[in-house]
Amino acid sequence: MRILPRKVTTNSAPLRAMALPGLVVATVALVGLLTSGAFAGASPHRSAARAADLRAARAAAPITYSLPPSSDLSVGQQLFEANCSSCHGTDAYGTDRAPNLVGVGAATVDFWVSTGRMPLADSTIQPERKPPRFDRRQTLSIANYVASLAPPSPAAPEIPNVNTAGANLADGNTLFVLNCAGCHTVTGAGDALADGYFAPSLHKASKTQVAEAMRTGPGNMPRFGPGTLSDRQTADIVAYVVGTIEHPVNRGGLGLGEIGPVAEGFVALLIGVGGIMLIAFWLGERA
Amino acid sequence: MSGVTTEGDGPTHSPVAAFDDPHLRPYAQHPGRAEAAIGACLFAGVLGFVAYGITYWVGGQTQVEGITLGVGLFGFGFGMAAWGKYLMPKGPFVEERHSIEGTDAEVETLSNAVAERGKAVFHRRGVLGGLLGLGGAAMGVVLAFPVLRSLGPQPKKTLFVTDWKRGAHLVDLNGRRITVNDLEVGGALTVWPQGFVGTSQDQTMLVRASFDDVVTRPGRESWGPQGYLAYSKLCTHAGCPVGLYMEQTQQLLCPCHQSLFDVLGGGTQVFGPAPRPLPQLPLYIDSLGYLRAQAPYDQPVGPGFWERS
Repeated sequence: MRILPRKVTTNSAPLRAMALPGLVVATVALVGLLTSGAFAGASPHRSAARAADLRAARAAAPITYSLPPSSDLSVGQQLFEANCSSCHGTDAYGTDRAPNLVGVGAATVDFWVSTGRMPLADSTIQPERKPPRFDRRQTLSIANYVASLAPPSPAAPEIPNVNTAGANLADGNTLFVLNCAGCHTVTGAGDALADGYFAPSLHKASKTQVAEAMRTGPGNMPRFGPGTLSDRQTADIVAYVVGTIEHPVNRGGLGLGEIGPVAEGFVALLIGVGGIMLIAFWLGERA
Repeated sequence: MSGVTTEGDGPTHSPVAAFDDPHLRPYAQHPGRAEAAIGACLFAGVLGFVAYGITYWVGGQTQVEGITLGVGLFGFGFGMAAWGKYLMPKGPFVEERHSIEGTDAEVETLSNAVAERGKAVFHRRGVLGGLLGLGGAAMGVVLAFPVLRSLGPQPKKTLFVTDWKRGAHLVDLNGRRITVNDLEVGGALTVWPQGFVGTSQDQTMLVRASFDDVVTRPGRESWGPQGYLAYSKLCTHAGCPVGLYMEQTQQLLCPCHQSLFDVLGGGTQVFGPAPRPLPQLPLYIDSLGYLRAQAPYDQPVGPGFWERS
């Protein structure tokens, strides 16, 4: 064995040599901390006047149920006969291809048509959200016409108009987690159920559509009637869905599609551990 | 004097290393300063671990835990890496191909020198060694916290019974008593026994499958008045909340492992890993129209456990 002599080179002081990697890591950590919003929790100042406004807003009716003007009935009938009757029957009592619509109410029809699920090309698979075939007025006309085929009933709700001005997002969150997140997931991204059915994403739903779905229980979804969730609670959930679920606050700066902790963990592992490895290699190169 | 004495090929019997060999010097030009810096790193690491432990102990806060654990691991790791780089013999040590095997005397001399040198290194760096040990101990202790916490307290009888008693009112999350008119057909609601809102073992899925009485199984003739059926919300497989009520197919789905239960058939398993049907809560409607429990669950709810018969 032989140990070669080597000229003793002058190294920079260890403190200085350690300074650069240390600085890089500290900067990365600081940026991460700031973007993660750990210090962004400053609570907004709420004046007494605003609190009074909020009380007033909460006192107003959270949901008003109404039908569009009946003058649209003939338009609705024409649209129904041209687009719906081939499956649901000219009298709307249903056929072997599609269910009875008499007595389902305007909210049910408005939900299915305004989300583009109806008209449907293939009735053997679960309908998916797509751009609606009809504009708002036409959709309401069809809903109005179908609703006019049966006498009004509590089981056939009219179209809900949700006032979210006084909604309580915290209550909405609690109720959402308990009643909705099981199927739609806490991020509202939707998920698979059994036998090929799925709970759809909530990210494009309007206020009225969320309330309609809750009150009428389309497809495999349970019905959440006023005895289960009051109008107040329903409005809180609607506000939570269209406010928080559809506009999530991503404190980390990157939502990753709101698809949940597994994907987030994977990205953290890949980028976080990958970055640490790069730093380790770099330190090794310098040694 | 140089410790390197070999010239040319072939083995020699000269000593190959000595204390003043420049290759055995630390890489750092000022070992004292390096020692201080490394000591500071290790000490910061110790502080980080201790702060993490305290944070965890007093109740925890995710960001603070992350930061303190990060400081601990980083300070500790950086200190160790810097120690390896700046305070260990710097080399280079080159082994030439034709003299792979040293003589016994060479080997002995070198190993003696290295061993002695190593001892001296450790002896001299007593403070760093202590800090390293302290940090390791602190890290080991705080990492054991979650494990230790999971060991107690003992569940005793709580796995066998719930708070559902004969006559208990069904209430929702806000404590409101459920009446027979509250759910529409196709409706679903999570309920608890009155006075126990929010408890995990008592949570029960109440669904309404019909306007008429529903008999799910022989012997349960009176359990489903006016179409109301109540099942424990705890999956019998792993205890996840079975809250996914598929109203068209009348099935309850567990989101964790896709166990599927038949609502109209007494909660029997249709698919998935669940070993037992969901326990059904017998209901009755009192004279004021309130939904109440006829009796407690007739079996332990949730997943299996050792003592479950």
